[in-house]
Amino acid sequence: MKRETPRHHFVVRVTHWVNALALAIMVGSGLRIFNAYPAFARKGETFCCYPFEGHTIPAWLTFGGWLAGARHWHFAAMWVLVANGLVYLGFIYLHGEWRDLVPRRGLFRDVWEMVKFYVARRKDHPRQGKHNALQRLVYFSMPLFGALAVVSGLAIWKPVQLAPLTVLLGGYVWARYWHFVAMSILVALSLGHVFMVFAVDPYALRAIITGGYDESKSPEERNARPFVNLRAKKEAPP
Amino acid sequence: MSKLWRPVRHAAERLGIDRRAFLAAGATAGVGAAALVLGGCNSRGPRSAEKLLAASERWNERVERALFRHTAMNVAPTGARAAGTAFPSYFVADEVPVWDEQESGVWRLEIGGLVRRPAKLTLDELKALPRTDLRLEHFCVEGWSAVSVRTGVLLSELARRADVMPDARFVDFESFDDGYHESWDLESALHPQTLVVYGQDGRLLEPAYGAPARVYSPVKLGYKNTKYLTRIMFLPSANGGYWSDQGYEWYAGV
Repeated sequence: MKRETPRHHFVVRVTHWVNALALAIMVGSGLRIFNAYPAFARKGETFCCYPFEGHTIPAWLTFGGWLAGARHWHFAAMWVLVANGLVYLGFIYLHGEWRDLVPRRGLFRDVWEMVKFYVARRKDHPRQGKHNALQRLVYFSMPLFGALAVVSGLAIWKPVQLAPLTVLLGGYVWARYWHFVAMSILVALSLGHVFMVFAVDPYALRAIITGGYDESKSPEERNARPFVNLRAKKEAPP
Repeated sequence: MSKLWRPVRHAAERLGIDRRAFLAAGATAGVGAAALVLGGCNSRGPRSAEKLLAASERWNERVERALFRHTAMNVAPTGARAAGTAFPSYFVADEVPVWDEQESGVWRLEIGGLVRRPAKLTLDELKALPRTDLRLEHFCVEGWSAVSVRTGVLLSELARRADVMPDARFVDFESFDDGYHESWDLESALHPQTLVVYGQDGRLLEPAYGAPARVYSPVKLGYKNTKYLTRIMFLPSANGGYWSDQGYEWYAGV
């Protein structure tokens, strides 16, 4: 018996996985590039806002092998990331999925209710549509931080040819810092996202691969919080 | 619900194969293939990707050349402090290269190749040419930046005096630092901030920073700016470079 209904369009599924791969390459190679000078201070100056100046990122988190290799990967994958992101944004705009993602009135109140539910300060799962309020907030802000990463990346790639952009971000040193901050936030949100998939809604993993989703097994139906009610109850035999 | 939303009957079903078994087999094959590709690579990434990365470098050079403007200028932030001795100094020889007058005679900067008036300038002759002082922020491939004041002669001025021929498209900057050289596109060499530098922060260039003269431009990453300059050659084609030949980007525009 088939209960699954289509949840993620083909284009959304493909761009999701291309994005995951491109982002992984960008982060890994970016950290390798960062390790060539793991600090933000201009030479002869100090930098206020990074507590780990001079400490390299563990090599196993990096990709590209050496500085030149990592730069080649970084400057190749950036086109994939941007092109894929534009396809995704263009598609959800034309196809209507953006309605499930843009903030609604009372978003932060709803987010608070979700947080309360997740920390067991509230018994029942808040009502939701396709995504809960926390998901909406995260999925909406991902492209925003992605845009910050792209813009700050351009500013440190071409600080002379695109000097006005670099100046707008506070100069080369700060543009490099914003690039690092944007990356850190994207990584944190992505890790949180993956954690929640496995801790709350493993059925969503199928939806982002085949597209199908069984609404009767949604976290709202299961009243699922992290590691609680992870599996749907067996249906009674007919 | 739009028609696009409706899942098509799966190809596997039409072939009489269970759809889930088909997907599971497909996923296993995919993971296996990825493991093979990644397993077959050193820490630099899959070997099969090298061609792709080379193509991407060519594409990026096209983009960078399209972005290039002679009017785009580097201006060091007003509040930024000059790096002074905190400015890192790099050379490829075993120790700081120093021009030995006893051994090699008086240092001269040769300007040759596709020029109608080749020249061999002594340091005094170079200093007698119109002087330019620029306060610039330097960008290293490693990610650091540093501010300094550069004093020298505009390369466009030297090119004008040498009367560069129209078929010159590239410039090679050679040095006495163990064969170090880097070739550039002509446009970047003629940028109004590209200098042959003999002074830094108000003093004559020190040996660690490329004495007696070096090329310097903020439109190129540090490694393109040859120190310990001996020869500027105008060429019809690119001639690689010390770091570019080892895999760093050849264009390396900023």
